[in-house]
Amino acid sequence: MPPAESSPDNASKPVLRTLCQRTIVFDNEGFFKDFADWTEEICAVLSEESHLQLEARHWRVIWFLRDFYAGHGRAPLNNQLKKGTGMSLLEIESLFPGGIKNGARRLAGLPNPSTCT
Amino acid sequence: MNYLDNAATSYPKQDECLRRALERYLELGASPGRGGYDRAVQAEALVSAIRCDIARFFGAGDDARVCFAANATDALNILIQGMVRPGDHVVSSRLEHNSVLRPLNHLRRQGLISLDLLPFDAGGFVDPAQVAACLEPQTRMVVMTHASNVLGTIQPVSQVGAICREHGIPLVVDVAQSAGCVPVDMRAWGIQAIAFTGHKSLLGPTGIGGLVIRPGLDPVPTRFGGTGIDSADPFHPLAYPQRLEAGTVNLLGILCLGECLQYLRKQNDTVLAREMRLLEKLRDGLRASNRIRLYAADHLADHLPLLTCTVQGIASTDVGDILDGDFGIAVRTGLHCAPLVHEALGTLHGGAVRFSLGPFTTEEQIDAAIAAMSAIAGR
Repeated sequence: MPPAESSPDNASKPVLRTLCQRTIVFDNEGFFKDFADWTEEICAVLSEESHLQLEARHWRVIWFLRDFYAGHGRAPLNNQLKKGTGMSLLEIESLFPGGIKNGARRLAGLPNPSTCT
Repeated sequence: MNYLDNAATSYPKQDECLRRALERYLELGASPGRGGYDRAVQAEALVSAIRCDIARFFGAGDDARVCFAANATDALNILIQGMVRPGDHVVSSRLEHNSVLRPLNHLRRQGLISLDLLPFDAGGFVDPAQVAACLEPQTRMVVMTHASNVLGTIQPVSQVGAICREHGIPLVVDVAQSAGCVPVDMRAWGIQAIAFTGHKSLLGPTGIGGLVIRPGLDPVPTRFGGTGIDSADPFHPLAYPQRLEAGTVNLLGILCLGECLQYLRKQNDTVLAREMRLLEKLRDGLRASNRIRLYAADHLADHLPLLTCTVQGIASTDVGDILDGDFGIAVRTGLHCAPLVHEALGTLHGGAVRFSLGPFTTEEQIDAAIAAMSAIAGR
């Protein structure tokens, strides 16, 4: 009999941070582990870390992402993001340091997509 | 939609082939190889004829065995796990898809096999001389891809086959990406077995693939169950094709594959030549931007019609999202299930963007892709 396979934990190790007097769990790429942990205040702190001053256009994207996720249990499709924000994806990518996934999606508190897209 | 993701699955499909197969499936409505009534016998005869077509298509010879599986990954699992014994050594390459890497890695982690993964050069090719240098008395087989699904480079399998033949070691080739796009000649190239999938360049549906095995290679069954023969025997039969097929085969998928093979046989070299001309145009168009980096695209000889790139300063997933959302262009981003290729390219963290053409890709689609990438890289 071959030896039993070990089962290493391939999941990313959680990172605990204290922000705005709260302990928040992130994954190793800085994505919220819990959608409900997000607040505007924490989002603003994270944005400053990326040297981003959040303006109305950023909030439009962030709130669209959050509302959509809350209502559908998943991130919007590319076309839904475009239509819902009234911006092209190229614009959204340019707006956020890190772009759409690592910028907008991360700051909006959506989970890190696990698919190898 | 401007579909440039044919390496993931071909689209559009060959409508007529699939419709004819569906009609036949609806007419037959019987389980092949199960039962003695006429329709069941007819269904089995059809499946047998398609097995012969497949063997012929890949130059395997009339004595080859064709066993169906769900796809190339499934077929490779059946073959790899049915081949290795404790203490075996296996040679493969860093170009492989996870369909090869993961079965081998699991066997290695279980302590069953040792494994050598050959590197590839800057052009994206494995050096056959390195295969020869790796062979050991315990080497059970060499298993490698015919064409990289990330770089598109077609590997020198006939040279590897000659080396394997000289050493009496079977060569197993993953033709998932190449089958139907470029010729495969098992006998001439010294290939003992191939694993194929039906839904890529063979133009069929997902869910059908298989193995073609030439005599002399006999993987043991690793899945057991109903086969329609020798039912009183408590153990799985060793006769082909049932040896490696447990349960009822995917009749609809097989019929589709049969129709698609007939269609492909009528095509000529001009289809691939046209795709390669379009690929060259795409490559030259992307080269115009100094923010776009292309991989293994300097020479397009021995190349499938696919191209992989990154855009400096923009995550590859974002490039894919922008192409889709703003320009209606479908491409594949990420690691393409081939992590060691990306490790070598330095794209393991962010992945890359892959454009893959098909027989129905048009010049207008390529022009649109070039314009879109120019806009993205120029932002």
